[in-house]
Amino acid sequence: MIPLTEDKTKALLRANGLPVPKGRACASPAEVAEASRLLGGAVVIKALVATGRRGKSGAVRSVSSPPEAAAAASALLGTEIGGLETNAIYVEERIAIAEELYLSFVLDGFPPKVLLSRHGGVEIEETRKQDPDAVIVADLEPLAGIQAWEAVALWKRAGVSGAALSKLGHVTRQLFQVFQAADAITLELNPLALDVEGKPVIVGAMMAIDDSSLPRQSHLLEDLGSGTSTKHGRNPREQMVYDANYRMPGGMIRYTELEGDIGLIVCGGGAGLYQHDLILGLGGRLANHSDQNGINVAKLKVLVTAVLENPRVRGLLVGANHQQMTRTDRKVQAVIEVLRERGTDATRFPIVIRMFGPHEEKARALAAEIPGVHYLPRDASMADACRLIVELTAKAGDVQGQST
Amino acid sequence: MSILLDHDTRVIVQGITGTQGRVEAEISKNYGTHIVAGVTPGRGGENIAGIPVYDTVKEALDRHGADASLIFVPPLLVKDAVLEALDAGIRLLVGTAEDVPQHDVAIVIAAVRKVGARLVGFNTNGVISPGKARMGGLGGLDPDEVYAPGRIGLCSRSGGMCAEIGIALKQAGLGNSTAVAMGGDRITGLPMVEYVRLFEADPETDAIVLFGEPGTDNEGGVALHLRANRIRKPIVAMIAGAFQEKYPRGLSFGHAAAIIRADGESATDKKKMLADAGVLIADTLEEIPVLLKKALGH
Repeated sequence: MIPLTEDKTKALLRANGLPVPKGRACASPAEVAEASRLLGGAVVIKALVATGRRGKSGAVRSVSSPPEAAAAASALLGTEIGGLETNAIYVEERIAIAEELYLSFVLDGFPPKVLLSRHGGVEIEETRKQDPDAVIVADLEPLAGIQAWEAVALWKRAGVSGAALSKLGHVTRQLFQVFQAADAITLELNPLALDVEGKPVIVGAMMAIDDSSLPRQSHLLEDLGSGTSTKHGRNPREQMVYDANYRMPGGMIRYTELEGDIGLIVCGGGAGLYQHDLILGLGGRLANHSDQNGINVAKLKVLVTAVLENPRVRGLLVGANHQQMTRTDRKVQAVIEVLRERGTDATRFPIVIRMFGPHEEKARALAAEIPGVHYLPRDASMADACRLIVELTAKAGDVQGQST
Repeated sequence: MSILLDHDTRVIVQGITGTQGRVEAEISKNYGTHIVAGVTPGRGGENIAGIPVYDTVKEALDRHGADASLIFVPPLLVKDAVLEALDAGIRLLVGTAEDVPQHDVAIVIAAVRKVGARLVGFNTNGVISPGKARMGGLGGLDPDEVYAPGRIGLCSRSGGMCAEIGIALKQAGLGNSTAVAMGGDRITGLPMVEYVRLFEADPETDAIVLFGEPGTDNEGGVALHLRANRIRKPIVAMIAGAFQEKYPRGLSFGHAAAIIRADGESATDKKKMLADAGVLIADTLEEIPVLLKKALGH
């Protein structure tokens, strides 16, 4: 999931003809002052971070002059909001709001859903807690989308009446189209405001894009100046893997750093879960969780590098389930090349490989080039592999402990 | 019998001219699968391992007739391949593609359900009825090394674990009526409970093995079904991923997703729900055949 910042989301909505207030992203108080002047003085200043909890954190402020805007920006820049550092400010014209509504689309399981409520401007979880009936949740038909009249009926159920209904129906239909076309997993409009004439205006907008769609949406992210510039708390290893998915073809690689000392490279999500359980059960602690598919060696090398770059790592398990159609030599090649480039001494840094399947002989020959690598025999179970790496890593840790 | 697939199922292979399609079509054909045609637009008239290739699914069906399609089309194009197969009348589809954009998946699932077809996948290694036929890469280059014919139904969220369980059963002297990797994505063509129903109705299946993971209500659906209908055949389930509960919750899915996402999706919750419904829980691969034999009175 790739969260977009508000400026990117709004640029996309604006480009699709949706009613979005004028605004711009700024990096310094001086830019904020200039932007607020251009937008008429009375503006809203928002910390530009891709999180939905800004209102509560005081990251959204209303000001009435450029000097006030600059002061508010100075106060916000550099602060941490929802775990993210504020590096930019969004300055937006202030709209005279008559009513605040809530609308979101979510694709998390089947079918996609729409959530709407008459109570916008607050967190939808709060609204739901206080009055479950105030949040309407409806299934959406992915083939047909949502028709304007269906949306009108939903808004009516949510308690909206009068002149706003017709325009809300159309805006809702259009928003679902953008949601689908941009491969969004979530699109949240909060608040979706009604101005004094009852016209909808999108005041709050957050969107997250499906990772799987990167190959066809990367242009969108680039055109928008890449919503991914905010680092979302990734460390350099995690960022390296993330960037590789963005740049390189082939299956996705995934890397999440943890606090332990056993590096884990797995093939197959299920095998990864199982081996992680086994290692914890054996008293081992993992330095990372990972997943990968595909046989793009260069890309796999990025993952291997990330795992080994982690300063906490003291041992490595390359644990695969029985590979059925995937070439094991390509997977092993990526590991061996990185070990060689890094000059890793496998007699001191334990490495266990359990990898059976197509081109296994070649894989074994490659691994044999690095002395000390434990490539397990064919009848070894995943439990055997986990036992061995836990044992060897503990020993390696002891030796290191003694020598320091 | 077996479920979904046997000797007589007539299969076409969409994307047969790609590396994966070519290799797997040939192995599956040699294994006994009745592959009647391949489809790749622009490659009509070619021949892959004795299998004639057509430009469209409709042409292939007009000439040969078929019940099922095995689809090796890449993730960004696979939606159209499924819609084409459905349009031509195919009602069993196996979609191997991984990382299919979620909106495409949603559209495909809506289309599949609309006509009452069955989609195994996406992100699947397919289905195998050992000794009869297979669709997809289950069992790899030599399926006999992984799967023995037998009377255990197997449904797994993970293709790799589907093989590991096949091997564990085989080593214990058991075998599979059918093994199916249902796909590991959040959204799949068929939920796990549908496979359980098929195995329950299959006279050649005596017991069922399930492999599950955290996330989704697949296992919850099985538990509900079993509580409502009583266990008809012994079921052994293994749910990996309890480790996730030991770490702080990593990924936030945002407010709206949090609302629609139900509780009971952790490995521990799932084990409990299934156990309460009468399912035997295995914590390791090695325990699976032990529990099965006990339940079957071997």
